[in-house]
Amino acid sequence: MTHTPPVPPVREVQPSPRQMMLRRALRHRGLLFGGAVMLVILLIAIFAPLLSQHSPYAQSLMARMKPPVFLGGEATHWLGTDALGRDYWSRLAHGARVSLMIGLFAATISALIGSTLGILAGYFGGRVDMAVTFLINVRLAMPVVLVALAVVALFGGSLTVVVTVLGLLLWDRFAVVLRAATMQVRKLEYVAAAEVLGASLPRILWKDILPNVMNHLIVIFTLEMAHAIILEAALSFLGLGVQPPTPSWGLMISEGKEMLLFEPWLITIPGVALFLLVLSINMLGDGIRDVTAPEGRN
Amino acid sequence: MLLFTLKRFGLAICVALTVSAISFGLLYMAGDPAVAIAGENASSVDIAAITAQYGFDRPLLVQYADWLGGALTGDLGRSWYFDLPVTQIVTDRLGVTVTLGALAISFALILAIPMGVAAAVRPNSLIDRAALFLSVVGQAIPSFWFGLILIVVFSIKLGLVPASGSASWKHFILPTVVLGYYATPAIMRLTRAGMLEVLSADYIRTARAKGLDTRKILFKHALRNAIIPVISLAAVQMGFMLGGSIVVESIFALHGAGYLAWESISRNDLPVMQALILVFSMFYILFTFLADLLNAWMDPRLRVG
Amino acid sequence: MTPARMLLGSTCLALCAGMANADQASGTLNLAFSKEVETADVYFNTAREGLLLNHAIWDGLLYRNPETGAYEGNLATDWTWIDPTTIEFKLREGVTFHNGEAFTADDVVYTVDYVTNPDNGVKNLANVMWMERAEKIDDHTVRLILKAPFPAAEDFLAGPVAIYPDEYYAEVGPQGMGVAPIGTGPLKVAELDPGKHFVLEANEAYFDGPKGASAIGRIDIRTIPDVNTQIAEFFNGTLDFLWNVPADQAEKLEAMGRYEVVNAPAMRVGYISMDAAGRSGESPLTDKRVRQAIYHAIDRQTILDALVKGSSKVVDSACAPVQTACAQDLPSYEYDPEKAKALLAEAGYADGFTIDFYAYRDRPYAEAMMGFLDAVGIKTNLNYMQYAALREQHRKGEVPMTFLTWGSNSVADASAMTAEFFTGGPQDDARDPEIIDWIQQADSTTDKEKRAGHYKQALTKIVEEAYWVPLFTYNVNYVLGPDIAYTPTDDEIVRFFAFDWK
Repeated sequence: MTHTPPVPPVREVQPSPRQMMLRRALRHRGLLFGGAVMLVILLIAIFAPLLSQHSPYAQSLMARMKPPVFLGGEATHWLGTDALGRDYWSRLAHGARVSLMIGLFAATISALIGSTLGILAGYFGGRVDMAVTFLINVRLAMPVVLVALAVVALFGGSLTVVVTVLGLLLWDRFAVVLRAATMQVRKLEYVAAAEVLGASLPRILWKDILPNVMNHLIVIFTLEMAHAIILEAALSFLGLGVQPPTPSWGLMISEGKEMLLFEPWLITIPGVALFLLVLSINMLGDGIRDVTAPEGRN
Repeated sequence: MLLFTLKRFGLAICVALTVSAISFGLLYMAGDPAVAIAGENASSVDIAAITAQYGFDRPLLVQYADWLGGALTGDLGRSWYFDLPVTQIVTDRLGVTVTLGALAISFALILAIPMGVAAAVRPNSLIDRAALFLSVVGQAIPSFWFGLILIVVFSIKLGLVPASGSASWKHFILPTVVLGYYATPAIMRLTRAGMLEVLSADYIRTARAKGLDTRKILFKHALRNAIIPVISLAAVQMGFMLGGSIVVESIFALHGAGYLAWESISRNDLPVMQALILVFSMFYILFTFLADLLNAWMDPRLRVG
Repeated sequence: MTPARMLLGSTCLALCAGMANADQASGTLNLAFSKEVETADVYFNTAREGLLLNHAIWDGLLYRNPETGAYEGNLATDWTWIDPTTIEFKLREGVTFHNGEAFTADDVVYTVDYVTNPDNGVKNLANVMWMERAEKIDDHTVRLILKAPFPAAEDFLAGPVAIYPDEYYAEVGPQGMGVAPIGTGPLKVAELDPGKHFVLEANEAYFDGPKGASAIGRIDIRTIPDVNTQIAEFFNGTLDFLWNVPADQAEKLEAMGRYEVVNAPAMRVGYISMDAAGRSGESPLTDKRVRQAIYHAIDRQTILDALVKGSSKVVDSACAPVQTACAQDLPSYEYDPEKAKALLAEAGYADGFTIDFYAYRDRPYAEAMMGFLDAVGIKTNLNYMQYAALREQHRKGEVPMTFLTWGSNSVADASAMTAEFFTGGPQDDARDPEIIDWIQQADSTTDKEKRAGHYKQALTKIVEEAYWVPLFTYNVNYVLGPDIAYTPTDDEIVRFFAFDWK
């Protein structure tokens, strides 16, 4: 699990015309691919109830582990059924909601914590910076998987607990990157000008600093979203994620694992879905970085 | 350099203390530890006796100080599950995890550095794209899934390597690959970025202009400079890996510290949990400390930080 | 096979498992535990694996013949009930422990005194607390004094009560025994890495007892937590025998035709316990009609047919049919969701209710039950946790409804289950004084018929009041490698000493 990326060098920010950016975006294959896959998954998540004729919770114990259509199954359950006879497609579609929600909420929590700390440290420097750097060091020294497992084991594995724990554990990268980015932006003339003009601190941070570090924020957001989704899956795999019968992809992999040697499609389908989701988020993040700061791409 | 070392060392100690306090506090939220120790068929009298015997009735701060004092002298208490000294259990299991971590990071470096260099030498070439693609794909494969698939293919289908255990070097091949490939994308990207930067630096251009052998430039000058942050990242990654080997160890039945941690969580064995969080943190702190020193030693400009 | 086909295909991967070779040449039998055993000292661990080691490394005074169910002399050659609370044993002569210490009456007296002393903190108190003390008559005669008449004594003496060497145990204590076990059993410990690895070797000097000597020279037991990894090792021939294989996997293994799969009934019974006494606060479950509705709502037979499979049977008794005094002619509630809804409406829950549901194993079974409950309007929030944690919460009375199982420590008597949970202890959710009284009467009489009568009264009322929903008995799947000969028994105990090569 990769964690500390190199801090992207922040070059002078030149406000590039939107058209230029759009043109770059349309030429960026990774961005297009990532965006398209992401869009599909998002649509599936939103319209899950409409797209599946079965409930993700409806069991049929006499129709367990029916294979998907492409392995000789029947069309009523085109992705087959799981070990309790629940429609696999319906669980996959509803599971997209759970995975996306976990990713979004966990990344939002860490973005709030991390970027606040990072921007404050970068703006004020000195003692504030020292304190934040210290916090980042402490956070990095804590083994994420271990702490997350321990907390989930202590407080039970509800969706809220999992999201909160991941959110509280994954803010370091936001802090590191935004701290560096803010330090660069702070040196710019118009920030100094705003200070001289007597703009209030929140205004400076909000209007002058934040928009200029936004592209970094978005890129890290996508990375951490992907990270949170993978971690949740790992927690579920170890039996300490969200509670069944919630249709989470991690849980589906964990349940499918039981029959790994005999019905490998049970674990392959949610595994591929998870892979595609994380891949698309990462490609989207990389693409956004390239497009918003083309000179930063090394 | 001495001042720098001392400063970093001081920071490391402070971080270590804070982490130890957090892990101590976190696990005491689990409820009454006396009940957990007493286990089945325990009456309230038994529980009171255990509370007194273990000193759970003392203020939390005193208990923490006591635990920390013990930890400094290598005494981390007794496991509630095994009824053996925690230090003994943990050191017993740590060997496997450290071996795995070292193998995995070596694997990652051996794979990532040549890929990164090749990609940087010819930006936007096929090699570059392939390397980038691999790194993006690598980050998206869930390790538990990857591990299981490797067992199916290489152990069951092809019969090349054992599926589980840690009896011989062969047992470490699959776990090394699974754990190692996770560090590969980051190291590769950093190598590539570093190489690109160095290659465009003035002194390399000068060297090229002077007509020095390209290979010599590449390895003697460019790589040497680009490698500094890579080594530092590798040290940090190694720290993460030790903490992240839980999943891998549980799949491959490696009886290392990660697996011990997972089992201890389910067994409610708090002393072992605390010790493991502490040990993993210390590893991370140690590695980052060493990385900082290494960086500073190789690049004097950094010593100011 | 293309990669995609390999990952997706349901074609059996075992086609490729063509290299099974047990280590018959080296004489080592390879087995796996799926959990780490905390200590090898049988009085200080509660794991099933510990019980298996107990039978291999130690001996009890008696032995229960798994085929006939009859008790035979083991370390004792003869025993007589002098009165309802005294048994006299003639001990076998010439038996030595693995360390050379001679087995005498002193060892029996020491073991009984040690384990019944509450200060020593033995973990499974129920296994030993029925004994008062032991008296040495001469070197090879000993009397066991019971606290009260206890009809199941023979079963306990043939099961969990292992006899320890007095001199060695006095010297090393539970911690020493945990890492270097010494017994009289057919196998002795050659290597032990706590929790990870056990190597047993045949005890060449084993006496001519009912267990018989081990035909296999060396048994190597590793801990492999993941079932898939175990099966993978089995395919590769690096494990020779699997047990507790889940029903689905066992079916597939059997279908391969290469391996012998034996399904044997287990003493374990699954049940839903409901907080009828209202210990966890005000809940709909204090209403008998709601509990009956739950009994009606769950299609136990379908769960059994689809998930549990094997030789399991639906039961209505709060004990296993193989256990003595476990009556089976009890009232029952057929699967009838409409009736369940009617009962709920009658109790004032026409729109159903939501309740916390706890479980610790067999998550699919729990989810299936939740599906059935959902169909009659009862919404459940699953709290799936480790056994120790659930047990602790249950004992504190904080669990409204839970799916539990009990294996009775393989003691073939109803008291090992019904009395465990219905005599007002911390895990008694019913707290019914009448039932408590009947069981106490039953367990203080030596009249077998009277005893069975009282148990039947208790079991009947448990169903009538629907304190529990007894679900089904469990079964165990044993999978034998190509050159292993072993006959699994129906008490969930794997007898390591009874293995042989084909």
